[in-house]
Amino acid sequence: MRWNVLRSSPKTTIERAIGAIALVLAALGPLVFNQYWAHQILIETFLFGIAAASLIFLSAYGGMVSLAQTALFGIAGVILGNLATRGGPGGTSKGLHLGWDPTVALVVAIAMTTAIGLMFGAIAARSIGIYFLMITLTYSVITTYFLGQVTLVSGFSGIGGINRYTPSWIGDLTGHPNRLYYVSLVAAVFTYVLIRYVVRTPFGITLQGVRDEPVRMSSLGYNVPLHRTLAFGFAAFLASLSGVLYVWWSGQIAPGNVDLPETISLLVIAVIGGLARIEGAWLGAFAFIIIQNYVRGFTFPFLGFGGTLFGGSFNTVIGIIFLLIVLISPDGLMGIWDRALAARSRVGRAGPSAEAPARTGG
Amino acid sequence: MTEAPLETRSTEPTLRVWGVGRRFGGLHAVNDVDLEIVAGERRAILGPNGAGKTTLFNVIAGDLPVSSGRIELFGHDVTAAPARKRARLGLARSYQQSRLFLNLTVEDSLYLAALGVRRGHLRPVTTRRDREMRERAREAARRVAIDDKLGEMVGSLSHGEHRQVAVAMALASKPRMLMLDEPASGLSPGERQLLTDLLLALDREITLILIEHDMDVALRVAERVTMMHEGRVIVEGTPDEIRANEYVHELYLGAPQRDE
Ligand SMILES: Nc1ncnc2c1ncn2[C@@H]1O[C@H](COP(=O)(O)OP(=O)(O)O)[C@@H](O)[C@H]1O
Ligand SMILES: [Mg+2]
Repeated sequence: MRWNVLRSSPKTTIERAIGAIALVLAALGPLVFNQYWAHQILIETFLFGIAAASLIFLSAYGGMVSLAQTALFGIAGVILGNLATRGGPGGTSKGLHLGWDPTVALVVAIAMTTAIGLMFGAIAARSIGIYFLMITLTYSVITTYFLGQVTLVSGFSGIGGINRYTPSWIGDLTGHPNRLYYVSLVAAVFTYVLIRYVVRTPFGITLQGVRDEPVRMSSLGYNVPLHRTLAFGFAAFLASLSGVLYVWWSGQIAPGNVDLPETISLLVIAVIGGLARIEGAWLGAFAFIIIQNYVRGFTFPFLGFGGTLFGGSFNTVIGIIFLLIVLISPDGLMGIWDRALAARSRVGRAGPSAEAPARTGG
Repeated sequence: MTEAPLETRSTEPTLRVWGVGRRFGGLHAVNDVDLEIVAGERRAILGPNGAGKTTLFNVIAGDLPVSSGRIELFGHDVTAAPARKRARLGLARSYQQSRLFLNLTVEDSLYLAALGVRRGHLRPVTTRRDREMRERAREAARRVAIDDKLGEMVGSLSHGEHRQVAVAMALASKPRMLMLDEPASGLSPGERQLLTDLLLALDREITLILIEHDMDVALRVAERVTMMHEGRVIVEGTPDEIRANEYVHELYLGAPQRDE
C-alpha cells in the first residue's frame, strides 16, 4: 500500500513551517539569491517542478505513470512558438510565424495542448501498468519525430526567439528576468494549490477510487476510462503551463527538448522527489537541477580530478544518485521525509501504550 | 413461490436470466443458467467452490460479458450493458475479495459508493449534493456499525471491518437489488450474527441475492435457494426443501465446509 502516505500523513506543523519558510524565501528570491541562482536554478526548478507535478498527479492520484508529460510540455512550447513569433529579417528559425497576439497565442497553446492531452488520454485510458507506460512512451517518441520531421512547424533545430513575444500584461521578459522568476513562482504555487484543491473535489476523490479499484468503480456506476481521460487532460494542462514557461525562459524549443533523454529526465525528477506526493515534484526538480549544475564543475578536493570528467559523465552521476535514492526509498526524497517524520512521532509518543502508526510502505 | 409475503409484492421479475453461459477457454464456468428473481425476494445461491457462483454474479453485474444467453434487469435487457449502466438501474454488489479502496478513508469510500449512481462525478467543485452523499455515507456506516471508523484509512482496518465496509458500500447507493458475494466469509460468530440481523432487517423493497458458504446465515435469510454445481443450477427450492434434498447433502452439506 504505497500510496497510504498520501492521506495518512496529515500536514504536520513542521511541514507547514517548512512550506512557509520555502515560500517566503522564494518570494524574496531575487533579493536573497544571486542572479545565477534566481534566474537559472530556481526558475528551472519552478517550471520543471510543474511538469513533474503533472506526472506525479497522475501517478499519485490516478495510478498512471505517464511518459508523455515531456511531449505535452514540448507541444505547448511549439504551438506557442508557431503562433506568437513573427518571421522576417533575422528570423532564421523554422515555424509558421503566425505573429498572433501573444495573449491569444498563450491561451490557444494551453487549450490545444489540453485537447491533445485529452485525445492521448482517451486512447491510453483503457490500458494500465506497463501497457499504459508503453503507450505514453509512444506519444513521446511520435512527438519527437513529428517535430523533427515536420519542418513546417518545427524541424530539427526548432523555433527560437519565442521569449521576445510575451503578453503585454506580463511585459518584456528578456530584459527583466525577475519578472519571469515571479511568473514561474506564481505558476508553480498555482499548480500546487490547484492539485491540492482538485484531489478533494468529487472528481479528485473519484479519481483516487479509480486508482485503487477500477473494477469496483465501474460496478458503483462510474465511467472509469472517462475519468482517466479527464485526469490525463488535466495533467496535460499543467504540463502546458510548464512548456510555456520554458520557452519564455530559454527562448526556444526543439525536438531535443522532448526526446527520450528529456522524457527520462522528467521521470527521474519525479521519482527522486517521490511519486506519491505532489511536493516531491519541486523537491525532485531542485535536487536534479542542483546536481546538473554543480556536478559539472565538481573536482575532488585532494585528488584534483573531476571537473570535465564529471561534466562528461553527468548522466552517470545522476544515474548513481537516482539508484541510491530509489534503493533507500521507493517514494523518493518525500518518502525519506515522511519516514523521518513518522520515526520522530514514534519517539515522541513512546510509552507503554505507544503503537506504531499505520504503515506507509510495502 | 408459495410463501404469503411474496404475493403482496410485485411478481414482476426484478432479474431474469435466460440460458446464460460463460466460458473461460474450454471451461464452462457458468453453463446454461436460468434464473428468475422477483422484487423483494431473498435468494441464496449455494454450491461448492468453483461451482460458478461468483462468475454468475459477474455476468449479472456486467463485470464480465456473457458467452451466451440473455439478462434482463428491472425489465431492461442489459445483456450488453456495461456494469455502470446496471448500477445506475439500481443494482449494487459486493465482491468475494472485497475490492476496497485501501488508500481512502471509510467515509470517502462510502461517499464514492453513494455518488456512483448519481450525476456529477466529474465536478471539480464540492457542492451541497456532496454533503448529502456524505450524510448517506455516514448512514450506511451506522447500519453496519462501522461509523466509529469513518476517518480511518480502509487499508488499516481488520478483515472483519473490511467485510463491514464492503456491505456498507453496497448499501450506500440505496440499491433496488443487492448482490452479496460471501459477505460472512472470515467473520467471527458474533460478526456473523450481526450480519444476519442486518440482512433480516433489510428493507423489504430491496431484492437480495446472497452467495454464502455459511448455511446458517444463508438458510436463515433466504426464502428461496438456488444450488449450483459445475456451472449449472441443479436444485432450486425453499430452505426446507434444500435441507431435505439428498443430492444437496451429498454434494455440499456433507462435505466439510470451507471458506473462500
Ligand atoms: N477470470 C477467470 N478466468 C479463468 N477461469 C475462471 C475465472 N473466474 C473463474 N474461473 C473459473 O471458473 C470456475 C467457477 O469459478 P467461480 O465462479 O469463482 O466459482 P465459485 O464462486 O462458485 O466458487 C472455477 O473453475 C474458476 O477457476
Ligand atoms: Mg466465489
